Amino acid sequence: MSRLEEILNIANHIPPFPKVVMQVMKMLDNPEVQAADLAEVIQYDSAITANILKTCNAAYFGLSRKVSSLDDALVVLGHDILKDILITSSSVRFYKGGEVGAGYKLEQGDLWKHSVAVAIMAKLIAPHFKGVDSSVAFTAGLLHDIGKRFLSTFVADEFNEIMNKAHRGRQTFLEAEREILGMDHAELGGLILEKWEFDQELRDAVKMHHDPAALAREQLTALVAIANTLVISAGIGVGADGLSTALQGEGLQRFGIGQEKLEHYLADLVTEMDKAEEMLTLAD
Amino acid sequence: MKIIVGISDMRIGTKPDDVLVTYSLGSCIGVALWDPQVKVGGLLHYMLPDSGIDKEKAASKPFMFADTGVPRLFKEMYKHGAEKSRLKVYVVGGSQVMDESGMFNIGKRNHLIIRKMFWKNKVTVTKEDVGGSVNRTISLNVGTGEVILKVSGKGEVTL
Repeated sequence: MSRLEEILNIANHIPPFPKVVMQVMKMLDNPEVQAADLAEVIQYDSAITANILKTCNAAYFGLSRKVSSLDDALVVLGHDILKDILITSSSVRFYKGGEVGAGYKLEQGDLWKHSVAVAIMAKLIAPHFKGVDSSVAFTAGLLHDIGKRFLSTFVADEFNEIMNKAHRGRQTFLEAEREILGMDHAELGGLILEKWEFDQELRDAVKMHHDPAALAREQLTALVAIANTLVISAGIGVGADGLSTALQGEGLQRFGIGQEKLEHYLADLVTEMDKAEEMLTLAD
Repeated sequence: MKIIVGISDMRIGTKPDDVLVTYSLGSCIGVALWDPQVKVGGLLHYMLPDSGIDKEKAASKPFMFADTGVPRLFKEMYKHGAEKSRLKVYVVGGSQVMDESGMFNIGKRNHLIIRKMFWKNKVTVTKEDVGGSVNRTISLNVGTGEVILKVSGKGEVTL
């Protein structure tokens, strides 16, 4: 089997995204849905239930009182927040384990931390993007680097070659991945989200998140590219690829975002991350 | 003792076995100061150049910004007996993503402002490693003054 076939094979045999979540997300499209009906579905996945209870008390979600049972949580939480908590509680399983992201020289927990930071940033900047639902922005941010999770071991095998290529001349780390492995982590992420049956909008945003021309593309794609670029700049959960990525910043104009706003959002990110401790420890 | 300095934070080390370390400086800048006589070290990790964008955060998190964080770092060092004339000064970080428009050039602006501040206040930089698109970690051994720069994926050097 060629290396590219091996990588494609991963996408084809990826463990499924928890069905419970997809089902509950659909139920939440109906504003009249009852908490008891949601609980009926969610309680069958004990890992998700436990994570919901851990996550929902994070200061980040700003609940007025402590929640201690699933039924209670479902009554107290607004639908938007519940979507963010559900996706966080169910995605984390893919970021746990011994050496997630080691091929990128990331420590355990770093890739998850980076993903949470991009999700939080995506939500912060979402008001600039017409027609983008803030929970969709959060989901896209949380899953944008899922390809790294699975490409990591291949990057480890060819690390020196990729590194040399990326830091010679003006090539980005992602371009070096693609040239040497035949596939980059953004494209692999897009394929994984297709297997998981996420919407086209979300798949495209993940697939294009390193595209230098991303800001001229669909709203969600531009949003994720900006959020990721800011989090990378801040150095949160960044490995050997460092800041070796390209984005044509003139496209920010289209969304009414200037340099001062960018800095403002970075400042806000630091305080929001301080409130998200419970989310970060989920991957421990 | 290993003392970790987070983003938008500053710490002082006074014991000979203290090692101050700050990880993953992207466009942020790490400033390390060491006084060889009193053997006191300080390390700052600031994220943005100018606190003018958010006065509230400048008050609650002064180490987030160069203009509020750098003077405080020096003041804290003086409180512990350090003197300006003896200080070793290291500046590291300030990377940026590739963007010809300059919209995302936070690293460059972070570097520019500290150069201006140092020039105005006649502070000489002992060594610096700034710019490019790499991810840096810096540590300062308070007992010996050794400053180690680690570039992710490339290895370590003593500055």
